[in-house]
Amino acid sequence: MNVMRAIRPETGLRPQAIFKVWDLPTRLFHWSTLVAVSIGVLTGFFGPEWLLGLHVWSGYGLGGLIVFRLAWAFFGGEYSRLDRLDVSPRAVVGHLRGLMVGRGTHRIGHNPAGSLMILALVGMLTAILVTGLVTLGGQEKQGVLAGILPYSIGHAAREIHEILTFALLGMVAIHVLAVVADSLWGPANLVAAMITGCKRLAGQQEPLPMRRARPLAAATALTVIGCIVAAGAGALTMLPPLGVHALAANPVYEAECGDCHYDFHPSLLPAASWATMMSGLDDHFGENAELKDSTRDGIAAWLTANAAENWDTEAANSFRRLSADAPMRITATPYWKRRHRGIADAVFAGKAVGGKLNCVACHRDARSGRFNDQSIDIPEEKI
Amino acid sequence: MKILTVTAALAATVAFYAVSAMADTRRDAILVEFLSQAKQEDPSFTAFSAERGKAFFHAKQTGGKPDTQSCTTCHTETPQAKGRTRAGKEIDPIAVSSTPTRFTDPEEVAKWFGRNCNSVLGRECTAVEKGDFITFMTGQ
Repeated sequence: MNVMRAIRPETGLRPQAIFKVWDLPTRLFHWSTLVAVSIGVLTGFFGPEWLLGLHVWSGYGLGGLIVFRLAWAFFGGEYSRLDRLDVSPRAVVGHLRGLMVGRGTHRIGHNPAGSLMILALVGMLTAILVTGLVTLGGQEKQGVLAGILPYSIGHAAREIHEILTFALLGMVAIHVLAVVADSLWGPANLVAAMITGCKRLAGQQEPLPMRRARPLAAATALTVIGCIVAAGAGALTMLPPLGVHALAANPVYEAECGDCHYDFHPSLLPAASWATMMSGLDDHFGENAELKDSTRDGIAAWLTANAAENWDTEAANSFRRLSADAPMRITATPYWKRRHRGIADAVFAGKAVGGKLNCVACHRDARSGRFNDQSIDIPEEKI
Repeated sequence: MKILTVTAALAATVAFYAVSAMADTRRDAILVEFLSQAKQEDPSFTAFSAERGKAFFHAKQTGGKPDTQSCTTCHTETPQAKGRTRAGKEIDPIAVSSTPTRFTDPEEVAKWFGRNCNSVLGRECTAVEKGDFITFMTGQ
């Protein structure tokens, strides 16, 4: 039996004192989850924008880990199984009450409070992944949900995504404190147990009869789930991103306006701003930029027809909130200022950029109006 | 192989001179037009001056928009150097020796004198100013 195989005679303890409780897949899941969450939290809170790709992949990785763990909760070894978690209110309350009076009980597997924490952590991680995917699709117009979610939903999900992550960090703190406390006062070092899989048992504990892990069944279940997810994701990614159009090149606009500055994508300002701007070219931000009437009218019509109102990208949605003082100046909008706050003036003044209007110097995809985080490439920072 | 290379080199050379010659012809036509306007404005006017053009190029003006007080604000003090718009975009050198197509398209010439004279001087340029400017830049 498993129990016998796990015995370590060299310890000199009685046979059941050291017990192999966590199987290898469960241990790998635990530490891989820690790594994936760390990458996600670090890139999310501290990473530069262009690391969004890594952030997203940490999320996909976590998603895979959670799906695996759910399968393993049905087909894994005895103490990896879902039905080993006792989260009945009576058990949890009883356990916590015992701790209060200094008579904590120790279990071979998870104690009731630990079980509750595991379910909560997995639930919270799932919620964070879902809100992350919704943010990615709705706000960034990337990923499998880009074709069906509007910006407003993605933007709201981003707020929730962040709040839930703070909650997760709080839960992780409690989880770690509880593990440390249990390891100090209990019979087993729980951190070591999650590394080696073996746990020292309290004197009176007797292991349950072990149900064997069924790796083949788990693999089958995961393959089926994987195929369903892949098919669904594949079908969804066939959809074009919502509110993002392919805009035919406008050589007249590119030539006339591009003479002096980057040819701003028409989605970066509302129609009213473009109309006002094009009717005042004799004083265009302090310069005369007059055009022949026919050229001017053609460009104005094209700009207003493709203005921010017709797009659902992050840029179009964000720049619709104009500066009251300078309603035509993109770099005066609250969003522009906030997002470029951390960039030194020297970077803008540098030869490679040449001013705040030259979006395309850092945003490689500026001409498409996408402004994806991953497409940011600030010249001065790549020394 | 060698014959091909030589032929290509010859063709390129001929093409370069042909294009330059055509550019010169078109620039001359523009200057002739400004000269006739200048004579209309002042019947005693005789010829454009590169010296006056140079002074005009470097002069600091006060009638225009505060951010653009001189041609050199964007075109730099050196006509052979690349300029930069206030919005950060590079401008091909204004000197004809560096950019041979300068002052060869009447529409472009009208557009840029129209805009830039307004920005720098706050008024249209006279035919004399425009002719002097082109004459100066043609020798640069």
